Amino acid sequence: MGLLSNLLFFPVTGPVAGIKWSLGKVQKVVEEELTDDTAIKQDLMELQMQLELGDIDDDEYARRESEIMGRLRDVRAWRERLGKATSGGPVRVARDTDEE
Amino acid sequence: MLEMSMTEATPPAGVEGGKYVYCIVRSDRQREFGSIGIGGGQRVFTVAFQDLAAVVSDTPIVIYDPTRENVLAHEFVNETVMKEFTVIPMSFGTVFRSEDDVTELLRSTYQAFSDVLEKMQDKIEFGLKVLWDRDKVVATLERENDEIRRLKDEISRHTTTSTYFARMQLGRLIDSAMEELSSRYVSDIHEALKPVAVASRSNKPIGDRMILNAAFLVDRAQEQAFDDRVKETSRKYEDVLAFKYSGPWPPYNFVNIKLKLEKAD
Repeated sequence: MGLLSNLLFFPVTGPVAGIKWSLGKVQKVVEEELTDDTAIKQDLMELQMQLELGDIDDDEYARRESEIMGRLRDVRAWRERLGKATSGGPVRVARDTDEE
Repeated sequence: MLEMSMTEATPPAGVEGGKYVYCIVRSDRQREFGSIGIGGGQRVFTVAFQDLAAVVSDTPIVIYDPTRENVLAHEFVNETVMKEFTVIPMSFGTVFRSEDDVTELLRSTYQAFSDVLEKMQDKIEFGLKVLWDRDKVVATLERENDEIRRLKDEISRHTTTSTYFARMQLGRLIDSAMEELSSRYVSDIHEALKPVAVASRSNKPIGDRMILNAAFLVDRAQEQAFDDRVKETSRKYEDVLAFKYSGPWPPYNFVNIKLKLEKAD
């Protein structure tokens, strides 16, 4: 029904619906890229492995580690801005009784 | 295994008074572990509730980056505490706003922590990563696998009608032979270590040379036996596989404590 009515009323609702959809989609993709740290953590583990195997030296490690830390901080900043949970950092125990 | 509801605090940057938590142990008296804490050798001590204690050091309320230096400091404290205690490790970067909050965590999850400590009593973790040299493996396969060798010969002598197709087929053959070989090695290694371990867990291999990235939970009484078995197995495969063996670790891979963060409002 949804698709059919979109097609039938194409000149009126089609483009509008389409634009909404694609903006929503773009927004979602952008959000996912900004807030997903899985790939960054994978890179960090690979970097540590390379150091342990002697493929890279300490200087090279330090240089690439600081680049990865920068990316992690960016992701954390975006997660905070978009109201998503972040790992690490301060936690406060939720108490049964309100006392603060 | 254990979920706790926590509220995320907005950090007033740089404010002192926070506690970095490394692990939970059973101890009914105050303990000191020296100036080995994260953030440049902070004093490491215990915060107790009844017979449970959190191993902590003072910290400003900040988010710690998982740099090698920070991660090693976190691990070193746990290693030190492990020499005397069975530990429940906390994940890297866990900071509480005050000592009271730490006590509250211990109080509200007393039973759960006690149960886990009971289960982990005298258990330690070992890490085992196994790597191979892809080029060497391919060379061996080309030598020893009849089907692969024949196809390779045909390609080099141009006896096949389509070299392109034959190459594709060769690539596929090598891929599947490697996959088969890798899973055979992995299951052989697991079989060898199973009798001396309590449990094992396979993690995703890191990079393209690794075929096994596993953690083993081992009873302290079996530590020597496990060690011997790993060395024996690594000798058996020393021509083809490189074993990277580490530990003892706290049971990071077998205790899963999720501090669920909730937005404070």
